Amino acid sequence: MSKDVIVTENISKTYGKPPLQVFALRETNLRIKQGDYIAIIGPSGSGKSTLMNLLGCLDKPTSGNIFIDGSDVSKLNENELARIRREKIGFIFQKYNLIPTLNALENVELSMGFAGVDSQTRTKKAKQLLELVELSKRLTHKPSELSGGEQQRVAIARALANNPSIILADEPTGNVDTKSGENIMQILENVNKKGETIIIVTHNMAIAQRAKRVLRIQDGEVQEEHA
Amino acid sequence: MLRDHAKLAFKNLRNRLSRSLLTLLGIAIGIMAIISLLALGEGMQQAVTGELSSLSDVIIVSAGGNMFSSFGGGGSTGEYFTQRDITDIQRIQGIKEVSTQLSGSGLAEYNGKTTIISLTGMEVSVMKLQYASQNLESGGFLNEGEQNNIMIGNSIAHDTFDADISVGGRIKINGQKFFVSGIFGKQGFGGSSSDNIILMSSRDFKKLTGQSNISLIYLRVNNVNDAESIATTIQNAINENHGKKDFATATTMTSILKTVQNIIGILQLVLVGIASIALVVASIGIMNTMLTSVMERTREIGIMKAIGATTRDIMSIFIIEGALMSSVGGIIGIILGVFGSQALTLILRSFMSMGGTSFQLSPIITITTVVLAITVSLIVGILSSLYPAWKAARMSPIEAVRYE
Repeated sequence: MSKDVIVTENISKTYGKPPLQVFALRETNLRIKQGDYIAIIGPSGSGKSTLMNLLGCLDKPTSGNIFIDGSDVSKLNENELARIRREKIGFIFQKYNLIPTLNALENVELSMGFAGVDSQTRTKKAKQLLELVELSKRLTHKPSELSGGEQQRVAIARALANNPSIILADEPTGNVDTKSGENIMQILENVNKKGETIIIVTHNMAIAQRAKRVLRIQDGEVQEEHA
Repeated sequence: MLRDHAKLAFKNLRNRLSRSLLTLLGIAIGIMAIISLLALGEGMQQAVTGELSSLSDVIIVSAGGNMFSSFGGGGSTGEYFTQRDITDIQRIQGIKEVSTQLSGSGLAEYNGKTTIISLTGMEVSVMKLQYASQNLESGGFLNEGEQNNIMIGNSIAHDTFDADISVGGRIKINGQKFFVSGIFGKQGFGGSSSDNIILMSSRDFKKLTGQSNISLIYLRVNNVNDAESIATTIQNAINENHGKKDFATATTMTSILKTVQNIIGILQLVLVGIASIALVVASIGIMNTMLTSVMERTREIGIMKAIGATTRDIMSIFIIEGALMSSVGGIIGIILGVFGSQALTLILRSFMSMGGTSFQLSPIITITTVVLAITVSLIVGILSSLYPAWKAARMSPIEAVRYE
C-alpha cells in the first residue's frame, strides 16, 4: 500500500461574492497515491486549470484543505508555497515555459538554484537529467535553438530536478507533433514506472486513456472515470 | 545563490543590450560630471594649498580692517602703523623676522607726461615672497642691495603713459630717476592689485618720500603651530596702542588657506549638487527601463515563481540587474570623468593664462572620489530598481504563467 501524496478535503474555489459567486471548483475530495498516473480531462472552462493550480500550490482554495505529503498547504503564505512548489512539485507546461536567456543546462539547474543546491551538484544532476531525456548533445543550446519536442524534454528534466513528489503536466503534448508527443509520453511513463506520481491535464482522449486513473471535470465537479 | 541571481541579471541585461547601454549611459554622464568637478576641485585645493603652505609661517598684519584690501600691495587705507607697533611686535616671543610694507604716493614722469602714482616700498626678500605667484612680463625681481631700481605693474608699463615702458626704461619719480628692472604680467580679473603699482625697496622708498607709512607688516614665526596665538597677541597689542578695537588685522596664512579651501569646498559642493541632477534623471531612466523589463518578462517571472522562486529571489534578481546596470555606468563614468576633468582643466587653464597667473592647476582624482562614485552609482541602481523589483515579486504565478 503506497502512501498518499495529495489529499484534498472538500476544496472549493470561488470567484466573486454571492449572489454573483462563481464556483470554479466545488467540494472536491481527492486522494492521490505515490506512483499514481492520473489524467484530468474536461472541456475548456470546466475547472481543469483551477484544479491544476490548486494541486500545484500556485493558488489557494477558497475553502477546504489540501495535504501534500501529509502537511496542510492550504493556509501557507506566498513564500512557504514557493518552497512547497520547489521541493514537492515539478511543472510541465503546454508552452514549455523555459527561460529564453538560459541554455538547456541552465534551465534545468535554475530550480535547483532556488532550492540552494550547490553549483557542482546541480550541474552534475542537470546533465544526468538531460541525458535521461536524450538531450546530452544540446546542453548549451538556448530554447530558441531547440525544437518544440526538445524544449518540452528540457522542461521535463527541469521538472524532475528537485526530486519532486508529483509531476504536474498541463497539456504536455499540446504544442508538439505526434512523434515528439509520443516520445514525451514515453519519457513521462518511464518516470512513472520508477515510482513518480504523474498528473496530466489534457483534452486528448488518446493520452488520457494511457493513464491509470482518469478524472473528468464538468462545471467544477470532479468524477472518477475508471479506477 | 546571489551569484545565480547575478548571472540571471547579467544575461537579461545582455539580452537587451542596446537598451541597457542607453540606460547606463545616463548614469555614466552623471558620474562623469561629478568626477570631473570633484577632480577639478581637488586639484584646485591642492594647488592653492601648495601655493600657500610654503608661506604657512607668515603672518600679515594690516591696518584698518580687511587685509585683503591691501594684500598685494595696492591701496592704502589711510591708516598706518607706528614705530611703536613694530617695536611691540618685535618684543613678542617666537617671531623670527619682521618686515614692513610702506605705502605712499608720488609724481611719476615718463616721456613728458606726469601723473600721481601710488608707491609701495618693501624689503626685497618680502617682495619675492609676496609676488611669487605672479608672472613677470619681462625683466626680473629686484636684487638685494640694488638702488634706484623699481618694478612696475602692467598698466603702468602700457596704459598710464603715452608710450610703453620696457625693462631698462627710466621713470622720474618726485624728480629722481629710477630704472625699471621688471614688469608684472597682466593680472586682469580678480587681481587688479599689481597692475597699478610701483614697487621699490624700503630704503629707496624712505629716501624718496621721507616717510615711513607702514601699511602692512609681514612677520615669520619660528613655529607654525604658534602662528594663530601670536597673531591674536599682535592684534591685541596694536589695537591697544591705537585705542581702537579693530585697528589691526593679523592674518595667518593658515587661516587664509582655510578660508580659500572653504570657498573652494562650497563651490565644489554647489557644482556637484548641480551635476547630481543628471544622476536623478538617470535613476528615473533606470526605473523606467526596469519597469518595461518587468512587464516584458511577466511570463518569465511567473515561470520562476512556479518552479519555486521566492519573493526574495525575484526581488534580488531585479535589484542586482539595476545595480549592475548603474555600476557599469558608474565605471564608464569614472573613465569618462578622467578625460572630462582633463578637458575642463585645459579650458580653465586657458582662461587663467589670459589672466596672467602662473597658478599650476591639474585635476586630481582620489581613491575616495572613485569609491564615492561607485558607491553612489550602486545606490542609485538599487534605489531605482526597488519599485520595479517589488512589482515583479508581487506578481501571482498563475497570472504570470497565463500571460501571453
